[in-house]
Parts: sequence; structure tokens; C-alpha cells
Amino acid sequence: MKAGEEQPFAFRGRLFLLLVVLAYVVLAWHDAPVALVALRRGGLLLLRLLPVFAVVICLIAVVNYFLRPARIVRWLGRESGLRGWLLALLAGVISHGPMYAWYPMVQDLRRHGGRDGLVVVFLFARCIKVPLLPVMVDTLGLRFTLVLSLYILAGSLLQGWLMERLQRRAGG
Amino acid sequence: MRVLKRSGLMFWSMAPLLVGIMGLVGLLETLVTPEMLATLFRGRPVADTLVGTLAGAAATGNPVVSYLLGGELLQQGISLYAVTAFILSWVTLGVIQLPMEAEMFGARFMVLRNLLALGGTVLIAVLTGLTMQVLS
Repeated sequence: MKAGEEQPFAFRGRLFLLLVVLAYVVLAWHDAPVALVALRRGGLLLLRLLPVFAVVICLIAVVNYFLRPARIVRWLGRESGLRGWLLALLAGVISHGPMYAWYPMVQDLRRHGGRDGLVVVFLFARCIKVPLLPVMVDTLGLRFTLVLSLYILAGSLLQGWLMERLQRRAGG
Repeated sequence: MRVLKRSGLMFWSMAPLLVGIMGLVGLLETLVTPEMLATLFRGRPVADTLVGTLAGAAATGNPVVSYLLGGELLQQGISLYAVTAFILSWVTLGVIQLPMEAEMFGARFMVLRNLLALGGTVLIAVLTGLTMQVLS
């Protein structure tokens, strides 16, 4: 599929969902109360993540409406330069919720020409959870939090750079 | 409005993947408790760093749990290397999200990204531990 091309609608991961359902059936067969607890936890997680999903859907819409593929390529593509790295780093640090909630948006950006190195930067920079920093400071100390956060930022950029090198070497 | 609908449809097409992941998270959170994870550490820095990386990758849930558990582990005498690796891999490496990552970005990207994240986690854990030793 070429950058920017529309994909026909089709549900993805049906087999995966079937396997998870099967795991629940097997667990329920052995221990129904535990299976119910697990199901309840999964359901509560889904409810808790609904606002995050809403934000992601709106962000995808904003990206598609305002950012034409040419602009995405300029900001996050091969020629994006320092701005692209910093944007990916910042987006990773301020993004909220679990990593998989952001996969659809990241996939959309990649399809429109976003660089894989920047995706790697975004996904690793998510180790810094701004709203949770006070908890980290309280339990592990301010010095540890600062040192770790700095290394995460540097490590994100290093991994993104390595990804680009690997992709280039493989001709990807 | 049309763009929003298209974005919603795109997200909706991922629903089986997302529901499956959340089902798995529910299963893992129920079957693998933080207490069980804590028993994996043995007090040997190198082995514990690897255990911390793998345990964090297998664990699911809010990262706050990893911070609290990390604080407990430090008090029990587990090395800072292991605790740092555990906290990092909790967020960045997720065994349960691998199928979704492969489905959406391709198996090659998934393998490369996770190998880089694994290496990065261990490297950052070691560097953080060493830096903290120098600073204290």
C-alpha cells in the first residue's frame, strides 16, 4: 500500500480475539470465579480507556484534516531533521494511556510517510509518564527520577537513530 | 465530520485487536500478581536485571504499580539495576501487545523495535545504576 492510500474496511485481529476468548473459556472451565474476575478487570480497563480512545480518534481526524501527507513528510518524514526528532520525543512524553492505544494513530502517520525511527523514539519516550512523576519521586527519589528521565530521553533518540541505520542497511 | 467518521471507522476496524489485548490484560492481572513477580528476584544484580526486564515485559497494568513495587524491592535489598530495568520494561516492552504490534506495523518492525527497546532498557538500567553510585 502506498503512502496516503485508503484502506478498505475490514476487522483486524479476529483470530487473536478468538484465541483470547478461547483462553477465557478454558479458564472458566477450570475456575469460573477467577475467569469472571479477569473478565471484570478487562471490562473495567476498557471503560477506563474509552476517553483515551476518544482522544486518539480525534487526533487521527485532526492529523488527517489539517496535515496533508506532504506536510507530514516534511514534519515527520525523511527530511524532518531535528524538528522531527524533537516532535516525536515531546509527543511520547506527553501522550497518555497504554502504548497499544496509540498504535492506530502511529500506523496512520506511518502510512502517510512518517519515519520508523521517529515511531521508535515516540514509543520509548512514553516511559516518562508526566502525571506519574510525583509518585516516582515519592517512592524512588528525585535524583533517581531525574537521572532515569534524562537517560530515557537520550535512549529514545539512540534507539530511533539505530532503527534508521538498520532500516537503511536492509534497504527498508 | 467526514474525516472524523473515517477516523472512527479506522479505529473501529482495530476493535477485535484492542478488545483481545484488554482481555489478555485482565487475565494476566488476575493470574500474575505483583507479589508473584517480587518472588522472582534473588538478590544477584546481573541475574536480577535480566529477571527485572523479563518480569516487567510480562507484567501489565498501571505503571504506578511498577514504581510502588520497585520501591518495595529496593527496600528488600534488590539492586537498583534490576528495579530500573523492571520499571522501564513495564512500559516499553509488552509481551501481550506483540501480536497487535506485528499486525499493525509488520513482524519485522515489531522484532526490531522490541530488540532495540530490550537493549535500551538494559543499557539505561546499568547507566542509571552507575550514575546513582557516582552521585551518592
